[in-house]
Amino acid sequence: MDASLLTIQPNLVEPIYRQIVEQLRRLIAGGQLAPGDPLPSVREVAGFHAINPMTVSRAYGMAETEGLLERQRGKGMVVAATRSAAQNQSQRLALLEPQLLELARHAGELELPADAVLRRLAKLLGD
Amino acid sequence: MNAVLRDETSDAPLSARDLRHDYAGTPVLDGVDLALAPGSVLGLIGRNGAGKSTLIRALLGLLAPRGGEARVFGEPALRLSDAAKARIAFVPQQPEALSWLTAQQMFDYVGRFYPRWDADFVRQTLSRWQIQPHRMLAKLSPGERQRVDLVRALASQPELLVLDEPAAALDPVARRELLREVAVRAGEAGTTVLFSTHIVSDLERVASDIAFLHQGRLLLHCAVDDTKERYARLWLPAKLAASAPSVALARRKHEDGSLSLVVERDALDRWPEAAALPGARVDALGLEDLFVEIAE
Repeated sequence: MDASLLTIQPNLVEPIYRQIVEQLRRLIAGGQLAPGDPLPSVREVAGFHAINPMTVSRAYGMAETEGLLERQRGKGMVVAATRSAAQNQSQRLALLEPQLLELARHAGELELPADAVLRRLAKLLGD
Repeated sequence: MNAVLRDETSDAPLSARDLRHDYAGTPVLDGVDLALAPGSVLGLIGRNGAGKSTLIRALLGLLAPRGGEARVFGEPALRLSDAAKARIAFVPQQPEALSWLTAQQMFDYVGRFYPRWDADFVRQTLSRWQIQPHRMLAKLSPGERQRVDLVRALASQPELLVLDEPAAALDPVARRELLREVAVRAGEAGTTVLFSTHIVSDLERVASDIAFLHQGRLLLHCAVDDTKERYARLWLPAKLAASAPSVALARRKHEDGSLSLVVERDALDRWPEAAALPGARVDALGLEDLFVEIAE
């Protein structure tokens, strides 16, 4: 993976370290990053995007805790080979909480009934 | 006495206790406490005239504050040893030193005083930052002059780098390059950086910590990421205005009686109770909005 694959938008409300974790999650989920793929070093990401290396370390650490990445001796961070989805499902859901709260609020402001929103959401989720 | 009690911040690259200063009776610094950990990048933000430059000068001992004390690498800022000075690089907003030299002469001259002078960096950066090496410094525009000084500061490979509004002198490409230098040096060489800026997105990129100088005090002195997650705007409709929390960083009453407050999570990560009332709204704030809310 190349550092340029990440997009950093400092002025978003979402902190940069979360932006990185969320993008890694999506890139892995979407298959653009395969198990075992090496990640760019903290230095490469920090240098390419001109962001603080501690922010990148924090993102990688969080992704590692979550089971998205693993540290491999001699290779640095790689995409985790086996992601135990069940074990981490509640953690992963917790990371969606801000977006869900936002969605709920917007739905409330639009005075949309819950079942209509849920039906649409289910469709988007491919159920 | 052999056992000496030291406080934690005594060897911090930069620290200050209860700094106070005023100009003609108008307080500029009203009890500023600060400590920079090694390798941290502190972005200092504040409105024009908030006293950012005064604070920086007081921190470095270039100005004697009316009260309090600043220390650099544990030494009193007003009586720095030459050894401590050699570890610092400071770029003021309007550099004036050695103005009778050309940029090239200045680099050749000052380079000799720095043990880790990086002449390659100077060579590589001069043309990229559009610096004319053979014109007299005094004849350069303020922006060109500050660029020269930025190159000088970075080439000395300091342990503590202090930049007063460095962004003003650079175009977006060069600015990004400067941020990259700052970020990578903080990460690799452990360079501690303090920079003041108006440009919030720069601060969000490279700063590990922010401090907001407002009415002589440092507000929101914490990690950048925490700032975005710890503070929010709480909006209460008029009928809930009486339930507003008594403590808020900013409070604005709107014409219809509704209230906007800037609130902070408590030690258990909870918003103030009023946030849970039906009709209340909590909105996350970007840093820029946060500053505007507080500074208005």
